[in-house]
Amino acid sequence: MTASNTAPPMIRMESVDKFFGPLHVLKDITLQVPKGQVVVVLGPSGSGKSTLCRTINRLEPIDTGLIEVDGRPLPAEGKELANLRAEVGMVFQSFNLFAHKTILENVTLAPVKVRKLPVAEARKTAMELLERVGITNQADKYPAQLSGGQQQRAAIARALAMRPKVMLFDEPTSALDPEMVQEVLDVMTTLAGEGMTMLVVTHEMGFARKAANRVIFMSDGEVVEDSTPDEFFTAPKSGRAKDFLGKILTH
Amino acid sequence: MNVIFDNFSLYRDGFLQTLKICAFAAIGSLVLGTLIAGFRVSPVPPLRWVGTSWVNVFRNCPLTVVLFFCAFGLPEIGVNGAYFWFGVTGLVLYTSAFVCEAVRSGINSVPAGQAEAARAVGLTFTQSLSTVVLPQALRTVVPPLGSVIIAMIKNSAIVGAFGVGGDLFAVGDTLTSSRGEAVLPVLIGVVLGYLVITIPGGLALGWLERKVAIAR
Amino acid sequence: MRLRALTAGAVTAVLALSMAACGSSDSGSANPSVDAGAQFEAGTTMAKLKTAGKIKIGTKFDQPLFGLKGLDGKPAGFDVEVAKLVAAKLGLSADKIEWVESQSKFREEYIEQGKVDLVVATYTINDKRKERVSFAGPYYQAGQDLMVKKDSTVDGPEALKAANAKVCSVTGSTPAEKIKEYVDPSNIVLFDVYSKCADALRTGQVQAVTTDNVILLGLIDASKGEFKLVGKPFTTEPYGIGIKKGDTKFCQFIDDTLKAADSNGDYAKAWKDTAGKVAPEAPKLPELSACS
Repeated sequence: MTASNTAPPMIRMESVDKFFGPLHVLKDITLQVPKGQVVVVLGPSGSGKSTLCRTINRLEPIDTGLIEVDGRPLPAEGKELANLRAEVGMVFQSFNLFAHKTILENVTLAPVKVRKLPVAEARKTAMELLERVGITNQADKYPAQLSGGQQQRAAIARALAMRPKVMLFDEPTSALDPEMVQEVLDVMTTLAGEGMTMLVVTHEMGFARKAANRVIFMSDGEVVEDSTPDEFFTAPKSGRAKDFLGKILTH
Repeated sequence: MNVIFDNFSLYRDGFLQTLKICAFAAIGSLVLGTLIAGFRVSPVPPLRWVGTSWVNVFRNCPLTVVLFFCAFGLPEIGVNGAYFWFGVTGLVLYTSAFVCEAVRSGINSVPAGQAEAARAVGLTFTQSLSTVVLPQALRTVVPPLGSVIIAMIKNSAIVGAFGVGGDLFAVGDTLTSSRGEAVLPVLIGVVLGYLVITIPGGLALGWLERKVAIAR
Repeated sequence: MRLRALTAGAVTAVLALSMAACGSSDSGSANPSVDAGAQFEAGTTMAKLKTAGKIKIGTKFDQPLFGLKGLDGKPAGFDVEVAKLVAAKLGLSADKIEWVESQSKFREEYIEQGKVDLVVATYTINDKRKERVSFAGPYYQAGQDLMVKKDSTVDGPEALKAANAKVCSVTGSTPAEKIKEYVDPSNIVLFDVYSKCADALRTGQVQAVTTDNVILLGLIDASKGEFKLVGKPFTTEPYGIGIKKGDTKFCQFIDDTLKAADSNGDYAKAWKDTAGKVAPEAPKLPELSACS
């Protein structure tokens, strides 16, 4: 730990282990993400990168180790954990917009229910956010009436409405048709440019090169490489990373 | 059939009594059953344990035994009260187990991602259940819940035999045994009384089912 | 129904125990002598039954002292003894009788459908019932009374209202209808069997149980001194023997049988062997009503 840095890291994981039954999915993970950093997590499927992302807001509980967000250890299930999750935005691969609510209601629900904002104020903020992600005209539609790209942008707006300290993206473009990937990445790139702390699990190498400060490469539940995007893409150190990049880049 | 018209006021009172029992029992068991379903899917193990035991006890006990415990067991331990409320309590306890299971199956039909997203934006378990999961579960829950409630209405006939009295079925008993009317026409009147409750109930459920289906 | 059977079973067991404690003989008390040489006019019910060599008799199976099915599977009680007297006069011994449980609400149906040849089942004669069946007898005069806890101050039906007492009876029974004249309907509690009323009285859910005094006697007998009879009958309940409507000859035959049994002591003996264990004073045979 850097003793000179007084501010705690936004995310700190210390010797984290997790099992799914006999499967050891996270092996002794230790890492820190300072405020404002954009981290891209890469790795073959089954490497544990999604699980890693989901442990940070305790959607997946861990077996041993420690996770802190902004200097606070993750609380156990309950009100306190809900409060912490409110400060950690999360975007899912399959969007998970609330199917029975309009886009606007999706964005205002948590600010009203959790932050107790007046409805009018929450709506105003929500409309601003929808404008930011470019779907103002979809505000009164239901999720099923939107394209995948629009839904994912709405989901980002929903997460931002809570003014989170950090954003987690769990393969945000993997379920999208190719022509819609860019619109979502654009929103994410803008967000990164504004200084948001982000942890992004993705296969989008372009985004990693362009927007990330740091690349973490995972394989078999371990962090294999932790470097800058330049270093990682031009001179990967491990055989597994070379192998992975070889497969990705030839495709 | 004259027996029905001659004793119309008796039938009417019986009908109203049955309706009263059913109204209280339906509200009680829907609220309690949903609460127990919440227990069963809760992240807190003791609550899950309570929920599971509740369902196992009341779903597997014959209604008459549950009613027996309410009407005779409670006074035995010093709880005295009106038999009407003992009967309603018994019917609520019994029906709540079935409501719970219907609601739980509805909860399970909602994709897990919905609850995850709700938790991820900071909703507590109760909030995510009440604002995200249950409203979506409603659609799949209405038909089985309808069956549960209709079964409950018919079960209310048994409640009458536990000191409550005055319900439709008891009216049938009064007419046949103390007034010596023929059983069959009297029972036809009783059946009509139940149908007047259950058939509109079924229609209302059909309407509700269409309504919640459109609301998305 | 399962419950009713259970309760009846429990009551049976209790009663069997209490009877055993009395040191009395078993339920199959000395059977009346069979009139083997009885002759009947052809075409009558009597002739038909005699020829058939068997008879189906409806009685209660859950009525202590009058008709209660014992552990041996046979009913016992005053009604049963009276029925045996009638059968004996037809030349049929007790083992030729097929006992059919006849709950109150099914009695008329059973007679009309021929499921039973006659019904002796604490069966009150009234005009409404006479529209569907005929009655021989009456062979006993009961009256509606109250059963209360030993320390109760209730001394008659008039005292119930003042005490705001809850009164228990059986759904659809004549006493349940009658008691409405004395108490508010909201204070009437109805069950399917009297044993539940007794339980409600014991736990303080109700303050009185009302029905025919003879039925209450059975319950008091089983209560081990916890309950008492108020002892002021406020109705007269002539118990008759139900037969097919308009069968005057059969009615007359039964009436004659009753009279003969009264004079030769069989009637008193039937009481002494059954209900007499709780109410020793043997009743007088009431004046028989005309057969119609």
